[in-house]
Amino acid sequence: MKKIMNDAVNYVDETLEGLEAAHPDVFRIDGETRRLLRKPTASVDRVGVVSGGGFGHLPIFAGYVGDGLLDACAVGDVFASPDMNPMLEAIKSADAGKGVLCVVGNYGGDKMNFAMACEFADMEDITTQQIIVNDDVASAGVDEIEKRRGVAGLVYVVKVAGAAAQAGKSLDEVYACADRARQNTRTMGVALGSCIVPQAGKVTFEIADDEIEIGMGIHGEPGVWRGKNKPADELAAELLHKLTDELDLLKGDRVSVLVNGLGATPAEELYILFRAVNRILSDKGIEIVQPLVGNYATSMEMAGASISLMKLDDELEQLLAAPAKNPFWGK
Amino acid sequence: MALTTDTLRIGINKITDQVDPMGAHLNELDGRLGDGDLGVTMVNGFKNIAAVSDDLPDDFGMACMDCAKAMTKVSGSSFGTLMGISLMAVAKQTKGQTEIEWDRLPDLLQAALDAMIARGGASIGDKTMLDSLTAVIAATTGKTSAQDALAAAAEAADGALIEFFDQPCKIGRARIFGDKTKGMDDPGMVAIKSMIDCFT
Repeated sequence: MKKIMNDAVNYVDETLEGLEAAHPDVFRIDGETRRLLRKPTASVDRVGVVSGGGFGHLPIFAGYVGDGLLDACAVGDVFASPDMNPMLEAIKSADAGKGVLCVVGNYGGDKMNFAMACEFADMEDITTQQIIVNDDVASAGVDEIEKRRGVAGLVYVVKVAGAAAQAGKSLDEVYACADRARQNTRTMGVALGSCIVPQAGKVTFEIADDEIEIGMGIHGEPGVWRGKNKPADELAAELLHKLTDELDLLKGDRVSVLVNGLGATPAEELYILFRAVNRILSDKGIEIVQPLVGNYATSMEMAGASISLMKLDDELEQLLAAPAKNPFWGK
Repeated sequence: MALTTDTLRIGINKITDQVDPMGAHLNELDGRLGDGDLGVTMVNGFKNIAAVSDDLPDDFGMACMDCAKAMTKVSGSSFGTLMGISLMAVAKQTKGQTEIEWDRLPDLLQAALDAMIARGGASIGDKTMLDSLTAVIAATTGKTSAQDALAAAAEAADGALIEFFDQPCKIGRARIFGDKTKGMDDPGMVAIKSMIDCFT
């Protein structure tokens, strides 16, 4: 293992400290366990939006704390769910009397712990709702869509929920917007190389130099198939096919495209991928609005990329375009 | 004598006194099937509970809530989360009450069982602690004293281990081992039995 770090035990905490030191106007570490990241100034008189999950995916989850995005986020260990205590702290810190929406990736630990945190919040008279994000088409068939994992599509749901809350919508309305973003978003990815969890110290999975795995999860969960690498244009076509198909995209539809790097893949290659996606969608008469290209939901130093599409309507487009104050969102 | 927050404190002390050797044994069992962190979860979880024991409120439900929070402050095995879910289910049933009659024990355990099934995804018959609890609920039904309830619970937890010994684990990481888990005790079921044994 070769990583820029001190002690693996402090990997998460030292990253959070770095985030806070670099962006003190955006991030504040808080909570009994110091695993709550929140905005320095709490929102007033509006719905709160929180998330939480395992670490090692920056900017998702904790990186997206900021005005117009998350109010607070519970932080776990690398690839391990936080327990319910920082989740409850996140909910309490985000509550301004109008209720709190929890954006949760569809993973057993995250779901179980958030469900508990919400029950605790309920006993303290804080109203909560949860969105369970399940955008990864490779992780289960359409008939088992509720089993699909949440991956890069989390970014869209977080952005839409944060913007809707910022706009002063009620909890039910924020939930409705975020849920529409969830339903309109699909993702599929490809892994080229493995990653190393600091405390494990060795690669999560082995993959040959000339091999790729289509549909691999962001913790190395098995994908759809593994085989020889392909030209970028063919990869783009393969990843896109299922997304456009499931979203029922037709000529004249508008989508946002997220070409997301998993950590170790250069921006150059993400743009080669985006070029191909752009051509394919243009040929179909599908309009791309607000493309996002870069590292949004990573898996440590895993090499590879994912493509997400969110089918837009006027409201989703506005919410996506709304300003956000966050070093990773960039506008 | 009814079940009160003081009874809870006595229980916490009894388990905490024996949790270190219990934890070591559970780690070893769990290491054969899972990631070997069940014992660590038990030890850290009960030490967290012991730390808040003196400050527990008389409201039995609120006391269970505080225990649930303390128990879940351990990362690692989902056993800790499930214990938290159980305690919380009991908390909801007993909020605002200071004395719980022992004959309500099966109902409270049933609420815990239902919550674990709803949240955890395992079913009865998968060879998990849910099966131990099912046996304990049946055995404690109608028992009106602590002594009778505990004796019946211990016997039922033993019986569940014997009943499931030759069956395969059907859920969680242990499932991967399939038929190899025949002839092995499920670590979570052993954990339930060990906790009950602290009282007898």
